[in-house]
Amino acid sequence: MSAFYDHFSRHAHGEGIKARSTHYCPGCGHGVAHRDLAAAIDELGIQDRTVLISPVGCSVFAYYYFDVGNSQAAHGRAPAVALGHKLAHPEAVVISYQGDGDLASIGLAETISIAQMGLPITVIFINNAIYGMTGGQLAPTSLMGQKTSTSPDGRVAAMGQPLKMAELIASLDGPVYVERVALFSARERVKARKAIKKAITNQVEGRGYSFIEIISECPTHLKMSPQEAEEWVKTKMEPVFPLGVKKDLTVEPWFKRGAPSFEPEAVLGLSGAERLDEDKPRTIANWPDHLPVRDIAIKLAGSGGDGAQTAALLLTRTAISVGFDATAIPSYGPESRGGTSYADVHIAEQEVLNPAASEPQVLVAFNAPSLAKFAPTVPAGGLILYDSTVVTDPGRLPAGRRILPIPLTRIAADLGRPMVKNVVALGALQSALNLLPEDSLVATLRHVLHDKPALLPLNESAYAAGRAAVESALAPA
Amino acid sequence: MSVAPRPKPFLEPQYCKGCLRCIEACPRECITPGSEINPATGLVPVELHLENCNGCTLCLQACPEPYGLRLETDPPAPAFAPNGDFELEDPAKLFGERCVANYSEGDQPDDQIALPACEPLVLKGTYASAIGALLAGCRHVFGYPITPSTEGAELMAKILPKLDGAFVQAVSEVAAVNMMYGAGGAGLPCMTFTSSPGFSLMLEGISYMIGAEVPGVFVNIMRAGPGLGNIAPEQADIKLACRGLGHGNTRALVLAPSTPQEMLDLTREAFALSFRYRNPVIILGDGYLGQMTGMVKLPPTMTRPGLPAWAVWGDRAHRHNLISSIALAEADLETHNQHLNRKYAAISACEQRVECHRCSDAEVLVVACNTPARMAKGAVEAARAQGVKAGLFRPITIWPFPIDTLAEILPGVERIVVVEAGPGQLEDELRLALSHAGIAPPPIDHVRRCGGILPAQSAILEGILQGEEVLS
Repeated sequence: MSAFYDHFSRHAHGEGIKARSTHYCPGCGHGVAHRDLAAAIDELGIQDRTVLISPVGCSVFAYYYFDVGNSQAAHGRAPAVALGHKLAHPEAVVISYQGDGDLASIGLAETISIAQMGLPITVIFINNAIYGMTGGQLAPTSLMGQKTSTSPDGRVAAMGQPLKMAELIASLDGPVYVERVALFSARERVKARKAIKKAITNQVEGRGYSFIEIISECPTHLKMSPQEAEEWVKTKMEPVFPLGVKKDLTVEPWFKRGAPSFEPEAVLGLSGAERLDEDKPRTIANWPDHLPVRDIAIKLAGSGGDGAQTAALLLTRTAISVGFDATAIPSYGPESRGGTSYADVHIAEQEVLNPAASEPQVLVAFNAPSLAKFAPTVPAGGLILYDSTVVTDPGRLPAGRRILPIPLTRIAADLGRPMVKNVVALGALQSALNLLPEDSLVATLRHVLHDKPALLPLNESAYAAGRAAVESALAPA
Repeated sequence: MSVAPRPKPFLEPQYCKGCLRCIEACPRECITPGSEINPATGLVPVELHLENCNGCTLCLQACPEPYGLRLETDPPAPAFAPNGDFELEDPAKLFGERCVANYSEGDQPDDQIALPACEPLVLKGTYASAIGALLAGCRHVFGYPITPSTEGAELMAKILPKLDGAFVQAVSEVAAVNMMYGAGGAGLPCMTFTSSPGFSLMLEGISYMIGAEVPGVFVNIMRAGPGLGNIAPEQADIKLACRGLGHGNTRALVLAPSTPQEMLDLTREAFALSFRYRNPVIILGDGYLGQMTGMVKLPPTMTRPGLPAWAVWGDRAHRHNLISSIALAEADLETHNQHLNRKYAAISACEQRVECHRCSDAEVLVVACNTPARMAKGAVEAARAQGVKAGLFRPITIWPFPIDTLAEILPGVERIVVVEAGPGQLEDELRLALSHAGIAPPPIDHVRRCGGILPAQSAILEGILQGEEVLS
């Protein structure tokens, strides 16, 4: 039996009899299941590749005995740990060995979700209808009427009725093979051994997820002799948990994963990085002297769909491309799914310190609520630019601010696409502020639209129209 | 024609617990209950009478003890050989070649792959963190969607399948952290993106990872609490990350970036630290930082991870490894804790990181991290413009708190102002660090907002100027 250690050095430091003896009580079904599992590992020749996940419960110490890679999981989480191992090393043969409290109570979410994922791992479920390690409490699989230390008068329906895990797992689409077996007779033990071997073979061959439920004996907490416990499992448990194959799909091997890629080109390409082009003409801007500050805060605000976020990112990209520092922060969360959408942009000569724009020097408002909400936050000397197509009555705006009503939507609609009003706004902003170098924003538009060249003329026109609108608005009458 | 007789069972009585399951299994009634107590165990082993035995082995299949009933042809108990090996059938012969190479004994070192020079990227913080992870060699990401961290997971879900990596959206944060326990236990770099309520759920798993010494990187984009709170930025989990990583004696490096660039750089570095110390590393961002777009420059190299010797990989070289946080004997667990304490002491001594801005002559020292540190820096500049000697002390590691540098600065400091978007958890870390270091600090004031509101630069400036004689 090579899948067992010769010497259980992890069991009480391997001293004395414990070096070759388990921690299980006399007659415990875990020991029988362990021998079946060890036999399957031996017969399949997979000892080196096997990773066994021990649960919390009496079999927490399975790693004392199995001479395979071992990982001991938190209570109920063994399938999640198993999945992590399987994805890390798909050629490993990963077996999650769990009791009823672990698998069917605290770990139910992991059990079901990972079964439904269907990746080839093997789950061995020991159902003995009682909690062993904590001392004989009610299990999710305890029988109706069964007396335990937490159901002293017997289990009643309000405590939940016995959970039939094999049937539950078989009802999922993920698993390929589900069987319930038992250990109470020589005949059933032969079937159990065969089922375990098949469940592991399914994994080794990459066919999918397999689940073996073993109804098993806990003589100690049933307060029975091992023979009485075998009889109890046979006569009391088996009628509730009928044995047999619950699901067995014929699936061709499908699970095969390559080793992860570390190709620089692939990683950089997927990250959106572009090679540095030394020959590319670059505009390095000087901070415009006409601005009184070295760090300007701009708030763009409108409804979701007005394009405030896109405009904010275009501004930020452009400012960074010409050597300034810049940041953009969106409003996010439920409000980004409708209602107000606003973005705070900072552009600084050296370093953006405070990235919030609670008192923006510039407000671009695409609708009346945004104008009403944020206009009072613009300090004296600031600029308020709003869409006069949408906001026909701006109400009382604070005095001492430059107010620029520009018909952004009408200009965009005249170009045939109202949705480019955000680019119209950027043109208007450029003419009003003269913050960024001439045409640097157009360069950004060309860059971000390089794979949608058909959209470029429209956006360039929108930008130019925005600029023209402000220039004519500012022109002396 | 005679057939060689099949081997028969034998029993070393000290390994029989006398459960009698074999008796029912034997069709020839060769086994009877014993009558003598075994002096070594105090139990009564069965007795074998093998005259009628035909070697059917059904008794062996009924025996719950690995070294209970065995075959007479099985090898006897060998002398203790902790790393004894076995001759096995070559699995490749049974199931075909493996696609992943076997590693040899010992640590397989990381490779550093040179990257070409790239244009700076314009990225939001969560994306920057994801790309930092990719460049650190992470190809396994497990998570559960939660605002405002989700974009990091979304980017990974898009990229990783194309790199033959894995992104798994788990059923919960509880499952996600345990997938990390698995992938990290297999020796590979893995991570998650989460936010405060999700981080709370992961704490159980983090305690197990620390106990079992499993590396992994947690990017927690903090939001306002308690409870469901809201999704706006708050530095609400400093207490959890520094003092409350699940049950038991738990510590992890806690990194606090303040720009998208640092989101990339510190995430990348977190993986190296996580493997260096075999311990999880926590990155605490805030909702603003996760969502903030800014300039990000890429590093010159990418890591291709090797495989540590301790990994439970699923091959011969790593077969004897165990990932576990259980130590049943009290003395064993105390020894393990002493080992962890030595590790924590090494981290405290070697990994303190801080940015000091205008600290050398500071009389008012502002202590802040994450996005509030940016507001604080603006306020420090504004105070300096008014002639007040203010400085910013920005911890980049919150645990370990950079107390050594602080101790050097403090003699000239007349007042400390702790700035945070939260109820005072950073100040608690500061005060604890000072107390443990035996340093009597100058008066400590604070500027705090919570609920998702960041302290405004003007409020911080006011906090700096309070009690200061303002020139000009």
